[in-house]
Amino acid sequence: MSKKDDIDPENLPWLGRKLLWLDKKKNVDRIVYSLYAICAALFAADFFITKYITLWVERIPGFYALYGFFLSAGLVLCAKAMRVFLMRPEDYYAPYDVESEEFPEDQLERIDHNG
Amino acid sequence: MAENFPVAFLFFAGAALLFAIPKGNSRAIFLLAVPVAAGLYIWSLPEGDLWTARVFNLDLELMRVDRLSRIFALIFALAAFLGNLYAWHVRDRVQQVATLLYSGSAIGAVFAGDLITLFIYWEGTAIASVFLIWARRTEGAYHTGMRYLIIQVGSGVLLLAGAALYWRETGSLAFEAMTLGSLGTWLIFLAFGIKSAFPLLHNWLQDSYPAATVTGTVILSTFTTKLAIYALARGFAGTEILIYIGAVMTVFPIFYAVIENDLRRVLVYSLNNQLGFMVVGIGIGSELALNGAVAHAFVHILYKGLLLMSMGAVLYRTGTAKGSELGGLYKTMPLTMIFCVIGAASISSFPLFSGFVAKSMVLSDTAKEGYYIIWAALLFASAGVFHHSGIKIPFFAFFAHDSGKRPKEAPWNMLLAMGIGAFLSIAIGVYPAPLYALLPYEVDYSPYSISKVVTTLQLLLFAALAFTVLVRTGIYPPELRSINLDSDWSYRMLFPRVIGAVSRAIGKIWTAMTGFALRRVNGIIAGLYRTHGPEGPLARVWPTGSMVLWIAILLAATLLISFIDLA
Repeated sequence: MSKKDDIDPENLPWLGRKLLWLDKKKNVDRIVYSLYAICAALFAADFFITKYITLWVERIPGFYALYGFFLSAGLVLCAKAMRVFLMRPEDYYAPYDVESEEFPEDQLERIDHNG
Repeated sequence: MAENFPVAFLFFAGAALLFAIPKGNSRAIFLLAVPVAAGLYIWSLPEGDLWTARVFNLDLELMRVDRLSRIFALIFALAAFLGNLYAWHVRDRVQQVATLLYSGSAIGAVFAGDLITLFIYWEGTAIASVFLIWARRTEGAYHTGMRYLIIQVGSGVLLLAGAALYWRETGSLAFEAMTLGSLGTWLIFLAFGIKSAFPLLHNWLQDSYPAATVTGTVILSTFTTKLAIYALARGFAGTEILIYIGAVMTVFPIFYAVIENDLRRVLVYSLNNQLGFMVVGIGIGSELALNGAVAHAFVHILYKGLLLMSMGAVLYRTGTAKGSELGGLYKTMPLTMIFCVIGAASISSFPLFSGFVAKSMVLSDTAKEGYYIIWAALLFASAGVFHHSGIKIPFFAFFAHDSGKRPKEAPWNMLLAMGIGAFLSIAIGVYPAPLYALLPYEVDYSPYSISKVVTTLQLLLFAALAFTVLVRTGIYPPELRSINLDSDWSYRMLFPRVIGAVSRAIGKIWTAMTGFALRRVNGIIAGLYRTHGPEGPLARVWPTGSMVLWIAILLAATLLISFIDLA
């Protein structure tokens, strides 16, 4: 039995039950396709609205869209490459660091629907 | 005027009274009443220097109320209220007292009219706040707290040294706008820079805040850094170097935020990035930009608190806030998820959310003032914020792969605190006029034009598109149980190693030198022992005859010398 099925929907909060449709891949795909559609519409909007321009680059059609897409993709790729140099195991600074410690149980209130 | 006593005293009196109130709900109510009373009191205060104390021939201004100090004091009181509501369930007196002293000190510092009062409260925030880290009560938290305290107190010492030099230079201790130039002003600037987490002075922030307790991180996120922003706005508005410092601050933490695993630390990296926007605004120093910086600080306290509250709730229910361990929590913590998404939309500056009405002020002013590269950097940082705070946080905590964790929804007090934060974030975004009315300068700015809304949406949704494409193609870096080296590596690993190596080398040289000297001394002692020791020739027992012989020789020599003299 997969982890996903180990809980009876009846045990979920009302809102959680309503949101269960997100569990289906088909519905996630729908969200992604609507994002594509919205992005296309926003790109097209550049040709219809009057932009208040301060800088010449803003005149380029779809400037903000392209800037947002490529620079944030570049950000992620750059950061991923940085891992090669910067990533260390969790206990690198132990015991002078909280990273490899468990959070003290007496400060938590774990209530699990599985339990 | 004696009736307008300092607001900070209200918090300190509250902290003292707390000991008399029994543990439980009555104490929790009291902890809410103090910031409410303070907020109402601040609201009612007239402008002016309302309280002067004379100490050692110095006039200390404890209550300088003007538009700049009032708005910061108000948001601090509001944040203290929300923080205490979020911490309603906490029964730990150390944290409760620390919270009151910490928020009181921060408000006291905001109202400080001179550098000595500022210094006292500046150190007050440092000392009170460290207990929110130590309250985790683990070895790691103890060490982290120590590092935090050293840096925070160090910032205060720099401030005091700067104040003393500034006083010698100008004969005044008034905390007013300063011009960088002398050593004194540079020291003060550096002290402010440490607390506002300038690049390379920043890492105490990412090191310490995620090490605090569930509620401690929420409370920490409000005061120290925003107090420093206030201090920069008061002392160094229009200082051009701040524009460049701020721009670097907006850009570099977002790289770390993308690969960081601890989601509370991701939020602290993004806190650092948000401070950058404020620092740029202060550096530009125009009325619009300063208003933008202050408005940004105001809304930032609300939505950053909200985001940290949501991650704190996840930590409280699951025991971890690490992206690699979480996922799929939306089913059982839907309300927390929704509040988190509202915080995420606010920090990403989506139209109709609070970040939009504040950040766009700074952004549009950079372009207008001709700082094109800075403008491009801020635009990049805005897209980046959306990536790591706007999408990554809710995505990896509540969606992504199902972790199998089915924690219960956050307790009512956490939900209520988050609900109020979320409500205010939307309310300010939809209707920013009341916030604008509180700002230090007259606001002639309308955030909502079709052009601004469309271009913002283009930037953000195409950043979301990039995220989606990267995740669906599997290129997006997965959350891994790991840490990333940051500038704190220098003083946690490099310096100790260098100092260790140097001290070992010095030790060796010392041993060699002392060894050499010791051998020489030993040689002398051995030589003396040989001649004077029990077996030495000079220690032998001489017979009486030889003494007589020597006396005869001496006598002969004396006679000979006398004879030569006479001749």
